[in-house]
Amino acid sequence: MTTITGSKPSIIKSFFPYLIAVLASLVAVGLFIGLMGFDILHAFQTILFTSFKSPNGFTQTLLKFVPLVLQAYAFTIPLAAGKFNIGGEGQLIVGAIGASAVGIIFFDLPMVLLLPLVLLGGIIAGAIWGLVPGWLLYKFNINEILTTVLLNFVAFALINYIATGPWRDPTAGHPTTTPIGAGGFLPMIIINPPLHTGLFIALLVSVGVYLFTTRSTRGYEMVATGANPRAAGVFGIKVKNMFVMSLVIAGAIAGLSGAIEVAGVQHRLIEGLQSNFLILGIIIGLIARGNPLAVPFVAFFIAVLEVGASAMQRTMKIPVEMVFIVEALVLLFVLLSAVVRRK
Amino acid sequence: MTDVNIPLILYLKLILLTMVPFVLAGQGTMVGGRAGVFNVAQEGIMLCSASIGFLASYYTGNLGMGILAAMVVGGIFGLALAYFTTTLKMDQFVIGLALFFVGLGLSTLLPKLLIGVTMTPPLIPTLNNIPIPLLSEIPYIGEVFFNQNILVYVSVLLSIFLWWGLYKTSFGLSLRSTGESPQASDSLGINVTFMRYLASIVGGALIGLAGVYLPMVYTGTFTEGMVKGRGWLAIALTFFGGWKPLNILIGALFFSGVEILAYKVQITALGIPYQFLLMLPYLATIFVMIFTFRKPTVPQFLGQNYDREKRSL
Repeated sequence: MTTITGSKPSIIKSFFPYLIAVLASLVAVGLFIGLMGFDILHAFQTILFTSFKSPNGFTQTLLKFVPLVLQAYAFTIPLAAGKFNIGGEGQLIVGAIGASAVGIIFFDLPMVLLLPLVLLGGIIAGAIWGLVPGWLLYKFNINEILTTVLLNFVAFALINYIATGPWRDPTAGHPTTTPIGAGGFLPMIIINPPLHTGLFIALLVSVGVYLFTTRSTRGYEMVATGANPRAAGVFGIKVKNMFVMSLVIAGAIAGLSGAIEVAGVQHRLIEGLQSNFLILGIIIGLIARGNPLAVPFVAFFIAVLEVGASAMQRTMKIPVEMVFIVEALVLLFVLLSAVVRRK
Repeated sequence: MTDVNIPLILYLKLILLTMVPFVLAGQGTMVGGRAGVFNVAQEGIMLCSASIGFLASYYTGNLGMGILAAMVVGGIFGLALAYFTTTLKMDQFVIGLALFFVGLGLSTLLPKLLIGVTMTPPLIPTLNNIPIPLLSEIPYIGEVFFNQNILVYVSVLLSIFLWWGLYKTSFGLSLRSTGESPQASDSLGINVTFMRYLASIVGGALIGLAGVYLPMVYTGTFTEGMVKGRGWLAIALTFFGGWKPLNILIGALFFSGVEILAYKVQITALGIPYQFLLMLPYLATIFVMIFTFRKPTVPQFLGQNYDREKRSL
């Protein structure tokens, strides 16, 4: 019992810096919004409460939450091993390509077969895209930050090629393929406003990542590698294998998020479906300090801000980037709070 | 005879023209890194400087003001990086990423707030070519080397200046030793903190200059995401050049050569889908890194923070 009562203040204590960080960022951006001549109070109301005012706003938030939480894990898992994966965007795109390819080629398969195949197509394609930087790191010792980023740009060109190639939908103005087979669509939780079952997959992945990093031997070895690679190596952990494994898992999760975008939201491959999920995912991962338990909560918070941001742009003509600045500032303040606590 | 040669001359001239952002951003990365501060925010700094530099010249009607604004913006980013890492001892990559996001966000926010969405993009004049008297009269060579915009000359002279400064002056020696062994430098009375701040700010300013080159030479306007990974490529270039000024200059020729090659193949239409040519610079860079990272020569203390009260390993 003493442990429970003892841990309560520490949860509040660890939550406190986050609260300060959010407040400080809102104040800073609020001043800026005010200087530009906008209604500050109305802007904040829109940013913070759009998600909770209507069923539509709430499902929108959950739809945003799914790719964000997966992208965040694609960043935090290699981070636990001490590596930076800035390639979640490319891995998502290639995952989406893999998923749509399966969905278009096996168009007529029934759902029991097609849906798992579509998701698997995304996972495998994404894992391959994560394996490349992993292998380059293993074999040639090439900095993974650079290779993962550069592969994003390769993926941009690749999706453009696929979406304007033989599978393209000639009626669409934007580079888009024809739809995947209806058997590959994720079932809906609610039809109107739409909410697909990718939400459950994302939650399942969250549990899986938590169990993997805290309860499995491989996960422990990975975290130990990140904490001190030299010590881990001395204790017989194959450090380089851990780097590769972390990047492949990250690629698989990011690829899955691409497959979910195809199977749940778009039902086809569309250029630009990756949105700005990568950067938000990294922000989430860093705000959560790589803690797999904190990631879903931070991801939900960022999803709320994002939905609020687009509402604010629609109704008040304040650019969405304003909220992006809020998010970047929250990150900086959270990072700073660690320094304050250290002193 | 001359007709056949003109395209080649033109391409050589273009290679020098597109070399500039790589040279400037690469040297900026190198300068900071030589003092131990590893900047990974290039992409964001270049976008932000391109955006603010463009806005400054758009409103003042003066390209010089735009260049100055871009360098100041880059310098501020460098200052922030130095403060967070050197004074507050925070992780250099994490702070670099955070600064990248700030630059990225500001780069699109500011034009939207100030100019808004317009049907025709707002334009600034692009930098003129300045022919060097006499030298530009030399057939072929004159056209390629001595009839370029001012920043082409600046980037070459800067590289030579940095080589001289780093290797031929005692100040350069102090800077290099800060990045190699801050403990030793500190014990010799070198102000490690000052060196790191200075290098980070100067490096940031150079990266900012690289950013504003894009609207001022290529497009005449700012477009979202116009840096297109050149900031990240610049980091690869710095490793490729072994963190040495003259090697970075030569390496930049390779990077711009690939960019121009992709462009040349694209217009000659060999039947290769153009998307694969767009991949070329990035794939070529990854390929080159295979050789670069075999025996990388990097400053020993790159990316780490020095705390004189801590025991060294």
